[in-house]
Amino acid sequence: MIPSIEAEKLTKRFGDFTAADDLSFSVVAGETYGILGPNGAGKTTLIRMLTTLLRPTSGRAAVKGHDVVSDKTAVRTAIGTVSQAVTTDENLTVYENLSVQGKMHGLWGRSLSGRIERRLKEVGLWERRDQIARQLSGGMRRRLEIARGVLHSPQVLFLDEPTAGLDPQSRRAIWGMLEEMTSSDASLSIVLTTHAMDEADHLCDRVAIMDRGRFLCEDSPDALKRGLATGERVEIETDREIAAPDREDVLALGAVNWRSVIPQVVQFQAKPGEGVGRRAAQLLEERGYRVLYLTIAPVTLEDVFFSYTGHVLREA
Amino acid sequence: MSSPANRRAGGVGLAALGILAISQRAYVTLWRQPVLIISTMLFPIVYLLILGNALNRQLRAIPLAVVDESGNVLAAECLRGAIALESGRDLLRITPVSDREEALRGLRRGKFRAVWVLPFGLSRQGPVPSFIGDNTDRFSFDTVEAALSEVWDRASTPGGQARAAPAVRLEAYPYLDYLTYLAPAVVCLAIFMGSMVSGGLQVIEDRMYGYHEGYMVTPISTGTLVAGHILAGSLVAALAGAMVLVAILIMAPLPVVGAPAVVASLFTIFLTSLSIASVWFLLFARARRASVLRGAFGIINTVIFFPSGALYPVESYPQWLRAVSNVDPLTYGLKAMRDVLLRGAPPSACFAPWVFLATFTLVCGILTRVLFRREI
Repeated sequence: MIPSIEAEKLTKRFGDFTAADDLSFSVVAGETYGILGPNGAGKTTLIRMLTTLLRPTSGRAAVKGHDVVSDKTAVRTAIGTVSQAVTTDENLTVYENLSVQGKMHGLWGRSLSGRIERRLKEVGLWERRDQIARQLSGGMRRRLEIARGVLHSPQVLFLDEPTAGLDPQSRRAIWGMLEEMTSSDASLSIVLTTHAMDEADHLCDRVAIMDRGRFLCEDSPDALKRGLATGERVEIETDREIAAPDREDVLALGAVNWRSVIPQVVQFQAKPGEGVGRRAAQLLEERGYRVLYLTIAPVTLEDVFFSYTGHVLREA
Repeated sequence: MSSPANRRAGGVGLAALGILAISQRAYVTLWRQPVLIISTMLFPIVYLLILGNALNRQLRAIPLAVVDESGNVLAAECLRGAIALESGRDLLRITPVSDREEALRGLRRGKFRAVWVLPFGLSRQGPVPSFIGDNTDRFSFDTVEAALSEVWDRASTPGGQARAAPAVRLEAYPYLDYLTYLAPAVVCLAIFMGSMVSGGLQVIEDRMYGYHEGYMVTPISTGTLVAGHILAGSLVAALAGAMVLVAILIMAPLPVVGAPAVVASLFTIFLTSLSIASVWFLLFARARRASVLRGAFGIINTVIFFPSGALYPVESYPQWLRAVSNVDPLTYGLKAMRDVLLRGAPPSACFAPWVFLATFTLVCGILTRVLFRREI
């Protein structure tokens, strides 16, 4: 079976700057593949190369077996895109936007109107079909973008930061929508970029963590989390700043990946079941700190990201 | 998937649908912004009214100092002629001044635009009148000088001597005032404005806001994208031009207009719109910021509108400007419209301009296709 995406040593340089560096990966039919990384990691560059909007400097990539450089038209026929930019026209109604887009894909007549109705119902905008796009809220506009991206039933859908800047409710709505799409069309592959850990965790079958143009790791979210030597995430807040010697003593208990964004709060990882969190809190109390709260939870993708990059996401 | 409801167009059908989609968007976008339509159509009409009236008016009440040092019969005859220019054509406001120096001082201070001195001993053999004029305003200078020369000619011609018969002068077409002469130019100006708003500006806005990404990842060919944008830009421009033409036909009745002339003019408007829209798209094939358009507008307007012969006859241009005029699509659009609307020529007179306009559009389209980058 032809993979939905196959990339081999894909590289893009802008002068001296390497935005995407030697990226190799593949996505199979029906899979939702997440590219996780902070702003500037090279996610959008990668997506643009795969959607024929940027020519790779070296390496090759194929979408549904079609080369993204030499067979662009076939690639464009197979894909749908939802980019970070707003590509729907704010002066057109919801319906008109999809009508224009459908024609660009060779759809017309009843085939077009039927699809518009189906997609608008899927994204919950059918009742607003005659509304001018600029009157829609940010979340609704995003849903319209997604409807536009899937109108022609693409085999591979690229979503570049689909929920960036949206409120939690709108994000949940979009997640639900995407899940419904993948469950109703088993062959639809989705490639999405995000810098939201919970989004990648929630939606993706596999995730690649990307930073500074390179893939750091790639696996299912659960496998990535399991792959960490530690399985427990501890967060302690005290009444004052934690001094360096005390931090050293807590680390000696078995804590790793110590993070201290706020001076009086510490986050670290530890092997589960060894009580490191509780002992760390006791130790701090013995040293005269008052522990305000103690949280012990399973590790998240954010911890995975931190363990690979040594730094937190630059953007939340 | 292959049921009729899911069938997709390909090849020519896809190209036609692509062009239709781009045009549909351009039209709807424009209709949703009435301010844009009104300004597109109003600007050329205001231009016509202001420019037509500013340039069309006769000179009136030019202050002239007359210094009569002679006081003889011939001088009295000259004065009578000058007074006739004042009271008849209202060309002059005459102030008799006794002293030549005082008159010249008045000229330098701007009180008078010219001084006419009838010197002591004025006669046909000489001395003759002197004309000292304010040549910073060449137009007034030439007009007053010519009028006073004529007065002197008449006054100095012996009464009994028969005047030469006037040369035969016939007008080939019914009377046209300057305002009517400008009418086709105003249509062209509307085309220019329309194509800028819906062609040039649209292309740049699409790039700035990211709309063009939506086009670029579709299977339609780059040639179709270019053709669609040119056609979309030209349809709005042609609509603006046609509406202005109708307004002019109502406001300023043209002397010889029949249905064939109007149809030929409309087709000329369409082809001219295509060619101007293709210029905009060619210029902005790679531009990314609206500031480029703002900067370029004045230059493009000057380079395309003025050399076309819209305001002054092409024949008055120096050689290099004639060369610009020869490749300016507006020159041909104007010529075709003036031929059928003002001169009553049959539509076949437009064939040559039409061929030029179509070829021009094609060449610009091909160049744009080469320059256009379907990448971010």
